[in-house]
Amino acid sequence: MVGLSVGEKHFIQGGIAQDLRSDGRKRLTYRPIYVETGVIPQAHGSARIRLGATDVIASVKAELGKPSALQPDKGKIAIYVDCSPTAAPMFEGRGGEELSTELSVALQRCLLGGKSGSGSGIDPSSLVIVEGKVCWDLYIDGLVISSDGNLLDALGAAIKAALSNTGIPKVNVASETSGDEQPEVNISDEEFLQFDTSGIPVIVTLTKVGRHYIVDATSEEESQISSAISISINRKGHICGLTKRGGAGLDPSIILDMISVAKHVSEQLINKLDSEIAAAEANEEES
Amino acid sequence: MRGLQLPLNQTQRIRLQRALEKLHSLSSKANSDASVTVADTIPVNYDDAFLKGHGTTDLNGELVATVCGVVERVNKLVYVRALRARYKPEVGDIVVGRVVEVAQKRWRLEINFSQDAVLMLSSMNMPDGIQRRRTALDELNMRSIFEENDVVCAEVRNFHHDGSVQLQARSQKYGKLEKGQLLIIDPYLVKKSKQHFHYLEQFGIDLILGRNGFIWVGEHVEARDGMIVDQANNSEQSTVEKDQAYTPLEMRQNICRIANAVRVLSTLGFNVDADLIIETAELSSSLNIDIHDMLGSEFHVLVAEREAERRSLMTKRKR
Repeated sequence: MVGLSVGEKHFIQGGIAQDLRSDGRKRLTYRPIYVETGVIPQAHGSARIRLGATDVIASVKAELGKPSALQPDKGKIAIYVDCSPTAAPMFEGRGGEELSTELSVALQRCLLGGKSGSGSGIDPSSLVIVEGKVCWDLYIDGLVISSDGNLLDALGAAIKAALSNTGIPKVNVASETSGDEQPEVNISDEEFLQFDTSGIPVIVTLTKVGRHYIVDATSEEESQISSAISISINRKGHICGLTKRGGAGLDPSIILDMISVAKHVSEQLINKLDSEIAAAEANEEES
Repeated sequence: MRGLQLPLNQTQRIRLQRALEKLHSLSSKANSDASVTVADTIPVNYDDAFLKGHGTTDLNGELVATVCGVVERVNKLVYVRALRARYKPEVGDIVVGRVVEVAQKRWRLEINFSQDAVLMLSSMNMPDGIQRRRTALDELNMRSIFEENDVVCAEVRNFHHDGSVQLQARSQKYGKLEKGQLLIIDPYLVKKSKQHFHYLEQFGIDLILGRNGFIWVGEHVEARDGMIVDQANNSEQSTVEKDQAYTPLEMRQNICRIANAVRVLSTLGFNVDADLIIETAELSSSLNIDIHDMLGSEFHVLVAEREAERRSLMTKRKR
């Protein structure tokens, strides 16, 4: 991260206070979002999202596995994020690990709900094949290629796009088997099941700079934050997850205010994202 | 052009393609075989004696390029100039840099070169304006002039024996830059011209085109007064003032418009000079395009078409 001089920091704060940021955006405007789906053919679903200079890829891979003993009627989902050294030299080797873990945990909280799987954006019960014996294990991987602020929102959007691009192969279970035997399953190459992604929430990160909140901060603006809240909201307007970053304390009334602002912003974002994903899928089918 | 990462719909793509082809045809008449990629043979008359310069090598008796770029010939020297390389300083260039280190009697600045540039304390005017020998006290007070991460404008003075660059900031127009934003573009887009400092009167904005690809767009500052008597008091006053006085909204809009014009031109790969920037900014305000929409695909296509028209008019006039 390049440092900023005092004059430049003051200029950025002034811009945010006057509702005119360095690239002409208003406080609550997102940068143009560019979606591409199907970028990784070997994965079951993948998407690449560009948000200004921030560039992330998400991929979904499904494998057959055994459900856990505690929840035999649910499949398993794992989210993991990796920061590539092409994004910043400091990510080389183990440098990006702290940021990767933070992003992975935040995404898990926002998208997967509680330990029992309830309240999850992706319904784990749809992943089970034979209760107690065979289920789909979903591995969702995110890769940060280029970082210019607002990684969490971009990754959330990329995962949503990747899941709508995912086709899980249809499984035919062989005839009834008894007891502890593993049932035989035939994985079909032809038929695929699509996920219903209308329930998947998007993540909106609100960054507080001075007395105002901005949405979609660039890395220059992120260097100025006092605190940030990432809220994941679904289409119905319900909050699916909430994370607060930054050291400064926030008055509870400010948090409630930020939540209502995020709810307002998320409606436009969900609509925009859905239309971009549909356009990207249409493009992919053409090519 | 580098793969434009803009979401273009079908008509926009066609229009952009057409504009770029027109520009290509206009320019390539001058130097059609000048651009080479790695392992291309360079067309040379092997009977004449010539010198092999940077970016070339002798392979099986043929002169072959080792970098992607443009072939340049200077008398008997043939070399290949790479386009997207780091900035190559020349003496007398105006550059904008960021301070990375405050060292003994010098500042180290980052200027997008392979090494950090050095600005000696003796190459800098003292705040009180008196020409005198720099004492140990001056050395201890270096931070009051420039600190880490400050943006500074200076001129290339000479090269050190080890290849690093020395800068000087003796005139009033050089020095610390505040109240604005720094843009980073590719160095090859800023060509050497007579004027690198531009005061855009109609906007009230300073525009500094550093040859290293760092462009400064900010509020206009009058040439600094040399006599600042009470340093400590002044800095206190200025911080208090700063808390209250943000840049006025209209000037900020102009700054953002110019900055976005520079971003658009650099994405399209056009040479960035003051006239073109002003024209692009005026085009956007005449079409009532919102400042943020300047970074959208439609405006990029419009700018490309305008530039193609302008250049074809220029070549027609030349004939």
